[in-house]
Amino acid sequence: MNLNDVRRQFTLGTDNPNIGPKPPLDRDSLRDVIDLSLWAGQLLLQYGAESARIEHTIHRFGTALGCDWMDILVSPNVIAVTTISGEEFRTKIRRVPSLGVNLTIISAINRLTGRIQRGELDRAGVRSELDRISKIKSHYNRWLVVVMVGLACSSFSRLFGADMAVFAVTFFASSSAMLVRQELHRMHFNQFLIVTATAFIAGVIASTATLFHLSPQPQLALASSVLMLVPGVPLINSVEDLITGHMVTGVVRGIVAGLISLSIALGLLLAMGLTGVSGL
Amino acid sequence: MIDLGLILQDALWSALAATGFALLFNVPVRTVIGCAFLGAVGHALRTTLMQLGMSVEAGTLAGATVVGFIGVVFAHRWNTPPTVYTISGAIPMVPGSLAFRAMLGVLRLTATTSDTAAVMMAEVFINATKTGLILAAIAVGIAAPSLLFVRQKPIV
Repeated sequence: MNLNDVRRQFTLGTDNPNIGPKPPLDRDSLRDVIDLSLWAGQLLLQYGAESARIEHTIHRFGTALGCDWMDILVSPNVIAVTTISGEEFRTKIRRVPSLGVNLTIISAINRLTGRIQRGELDRAGVRSELDRISKIKSHYNRWLVVVMVGLACSSFSRLFGADMAVFAVTFFASSSAMLVRQELHRMHFNQFLIVTATAFIAGVIASTATLFHLSPQPQLALASSVLMLVPGVPLINSVEDLITGHMVTGVVRGIVAGLISLSIALGLLLAMGLTGVSGL
Repeated sequence: MIDLGLILQDALWSALAATGFALLFNVPVRTVIGCAFLGAVGHALRTTLMQLGMSVEAGTLAGATVVGFIGVVFAHRWNTPPTVYTISGAIPMVPGSLAFRAMLGVLRLTATTSDTAAVMMAEVFINATKTGLILAAIAVGIAAPSLLFVRQKPIV
């Protein structure tokens, strides 16, 4: 079996019974395909997908839209893609800033990939769908998020064995901090600065549990009120990337997560210095 | 030996924690209940196993593996990638406070003298290693379905 046979088998997949050579695309169509698949990859990288998923999705997009093969390089803030069809190929790279986590967008891209592979959409249809997906905002009212994040952090304090007084203090500390975080995020401050400032606010409010002797274990409020800042998705993605062999993205995501944890610690240290509360 | 009431409480608080983070990550509305359920199952299983004498790392691996497999089932049922369920379900197990405790220890090293520094260094190192191991357990656990069943021959 030569290389082209292997490629054809992989690109068309086993669920497609009409295996045969694809008609070669001209350069204009290739430009369209590369644009669309790169757009899908960009949305995934921006909103917190792991590297293996990004690679697979771009590959499935491109081959379902008529290319023979895609070569993909996912690096921490750049994606480079080459589309190949017959003798023709085109290459494009795009810079991708990280914009936090949005699992609805990742889910929507996943469904779109399935629809393209089943042949339900042509290139114009894919473009309008991607346009719609890229405009998806949060489903949840910001106040609902504030309350639920507050509840999540105070639930963590209960998991650590805190009493109801600490539960209440943690709730106020982390929901106020979440409000501050949303505002700072809206003003486009640097992400590490946002984390430090938010941890500081949470730390100062949570210190009241110690200052007013509200509980025998007041330090738990301090430890749990900043948990909404913990970079859970970068941490998990980092290890997943390392396991699947995407070393560069894995290491970089790990460093970003480490820096965010450092920023949390810095914010807490500042808060403890101000209020004179010690111990965690 | 196992306190059922305690486990149920644990499940309730973990479900709340998972829901809060699911909203923060803007999961599709139809998946919120599944995320809460997985958060409860993963963390409650870990707590149960730890009460039976297992280490936190091994318990996390077991909890995350169960989350990974149920996540795949839910993903088929509600037509999303498993990531939506597994990430939100694993969040209650993420060693957040260990991670920034390690960092806090690093920052505090500057204020110590050399005779107390050794103890603090050891503390930092223990916390950092534990964080790493628990994270590895989470990632391997939620990737377990694809590691075990979706194997592919390398192409080209």
